[in-house]
Amino acid sequence: MSAHPEKPKPAPVQCVGPEYRSESQKPTATVSTDVEFETVTVLPQTPQLIALLSKIRDRDTERGDFIFYSNRIIRLLVEEGLNHLPTVEHTVTTPVGRPYDGLAFEGKICGVSIMRAGEAMEQGLRDCCRSVRIGKILIQRDEETAQPKLFYDKLPTDIAQRWVMLLDPMFATGGSAIMAVEVLISRGVPEEHILFINLIASPEGIKNFATKFPKLRVVTAFIDQGLDEKNYIIPGLGDFGDRYYTM
Amino acid sequence: MESSVFATPGVGSATAVDEDSAMSMKGHYAPPWADVSIIGIAGSSGSGKSTISQAIVKKLNLPWVVILSMDSFYKSLDAEASRRAFRSEYDFDAPEAIDFDALVECLRDLKAGKRAEIPVYSFEKHARLERTTTIYSPHVLIVEGIFALHDPRVLDLMDMKIFCEADPDTCLSRRILRDVRERGRDIEGIIKQWFAFVKPNLKKFVDPQREVADLLIPRGIQNQVAMATVVQVIKQKLLEKSEDHTAALKRLEMGLQSEPMSEKVLVLDPTAQLRGMNTIIHDVETNSEDFIFYFDRIATLLVEQALNNIPFTSATITTPQGYTYNGLTRQGEVSAVIALRGGAALETGLKRVLHDCKAGRVLIQNNEKTNEPELHYLVLPKDIDKHEAVLLLDAQMSSGGSALMAVQVLLDHGVKMDRIVLATYSAGRLGLQRLTKAFPDITVVVGSVVQDAEERWVEKRYFRC
Repeated sequence: MSAHPEKPKPAPVQCVGPEYRSESQKPTATVSTDVEFETVTVLPQTPQLIALLSKIRDRDTERGDFIFYSNRIIRLLVEEGLNHLPTVEHTVTTPVGRPYDGLAFEGKICGVSIMRAGEAMEQGLRDCCRSVRIGKILIQRDEETAQPKLFYDKLPTDIAQRWVMLLDPMFATGGSAIMAVEVLISRGVPEEHILFINLIASPEGIKNFATKFPKLRVVTAFIDQGLDEKNYIIPGLGDFGDRYYTM
Repeated sequence: MESSVFATPGVGSATAVDEDSAMSMKGHYAPPWADVSIIGIAGSSGSGKSTISQAIVKKLNLPWVVILSMDSFYKSLDAEASRRAFRSEYDFDAPEAIDFDALVECLRDLKAGKRAEIPVYSFEKHARLERTTTIYSPHVLIVEGIFALHDPRVLDLMDMKIFCEADPDTCLSRRILRDVRERGRDIEGIIKQWFAFVKPNLKKFVDPQREVADLLIPRGIQNQVAMATVVQVIKQKLLEKSEDHTAALKRLEMGLQSEPMSEKVLVLDPTAQLRGMNTIIHDVETNSEDFIFYFDRIATLLVEQALNNIPFTSATITTPQGYTYNGLTRQGEVSAVIALRGGAALETGLKRVLHDCKAGRVLIQNNEKTNEPELHYLVLPKDIDKHEAVLLLDAQMSSGGSALMAVQVLLDHGVKMDRIVLATYSAGRLGLQRLTKAFPDITVVVGSVVQDAEERWVEKRYFRC
């Protein structure tokens, strides 16, 4: 893992808007940094997504709005994450008696949230998967070694047979996420059955993760410029857990 | 006065929408109310004009027949004239008392299919009130008043001109009863008015209108033959209009099969989740809880996608750590209009995305006999013409007839075409093409495009009835 803050690269700026509009009709904004890992999916940089991210990044946004707008992004992330689960061809009969060639979802899933900020993503997961089982993992920085340490976990007993949606909104150095994945793998979850659902990532975190777990999928809304000397994401949005729960 | 079909109190002055130049190039849609039939009913005070008007409305038994009383167009009186009026010395029964210019303007707006603001006149105050009544989309308009057939500009706009005849004694007796009961006058004043103004005016201004009338009705509503004739003629007119409208809808389809879909029609990506959810929604075996759950999920995605088409501007914000981010912010207000009843199935999705947006409602139903879409109910946010974007929501769109009408209604209320985003779960290919041909600047977000016109099964399953 990288604890060495690199000098952030300039962020990509582009016109954002629907294709039918000409470039001059679209406003410009900073969009997600590109990364070269095929396991990493970044949500389409639509004007609506950029506007939602602007809302939750803004220090003047109040808690109620912060919660509402982050939930909207989280729902889009979960919807995208679910696309990576297996499906089978499935034909059904419609109410008018016609056959409909569709798809059926396959495989059992569960959520695992990295406490406490990850728990803020459970609502979004439940909005898409009603009675999904949700496990929890508590990882905190050890005061003496400054390394992440596992304090608590409670996971579904049959987790090895499930696809796991691992939830953590901020992905800075990736220390806790890497430890959480190690816990899951130690419980028998295959690496390729883990989907890491994340709101804002740093390029360093993404790189560490994708190199260490080449078969694990990451779904994120935005890859930011980098990390500062305190390992905060630049520009980021502050402490997600604090803004969602206590500020 | 008799009020309107769709009264939206407090709405500002009617806004003319002149997008026609762009439209005529592509394809044209005229709603069935674009050529309202105007029927004028004139006759002396107390000759039974309003009774006949009401009887015609009752016999027609249609929601799109509106009576417009010319009493609404009395000029406001200045202080001097008002004093005379209170002494019963002002001549209300001369053409000069009527604001024909305002009447002509209203009738022309309605004839063009636009909204018209009708003044409200107070007989107690002898003045126009601040508020107005809105008339929008009548198919038949009955203009009744002593001088309904007086102004040649008004006559030009009329499709049928009726003059009611009555014995002057009957007229006087009716007038006394009405003015005492409804207008708070005293008998002495009424009689004074009658001989000073009403009777002399009869000969001078009222009776000459007989010359321009198509039909003279003696004995008022007791005249069953005359009543039946009037109703018959109107019904025939409406039938022709309905046939014209249906034929015009058909014409919009011609040659469309081979044309490419407009680039402003955006279909949701057929991702694995969307296809899986669509399968559950289409499966006859799916229980109601699952149907509603998965439909709400798709509705949320539809509204999210619709919002990508509203205006944004660049905005630099500062994070809690003091870093800046060059993002976007929404401009102005975004509201929704729910096309009932199907659109109401998208409301859960709407609220998940825009929890407090204003939402208007419009009910358009297809007439089972003529298959013509009909506008039954309309309530819109009053400042809708100032909103940056209006999302029009409907669960399904098959032939596009009701969608065309709903969009036309928004245009008539001052919403600019390029600010309308229609979001629908499924749409027929032809319907989509027809809609975007008639209204090329609207954006359509659709869950999936189907080849054939479908019956409205989604709302049946969503509402379970």
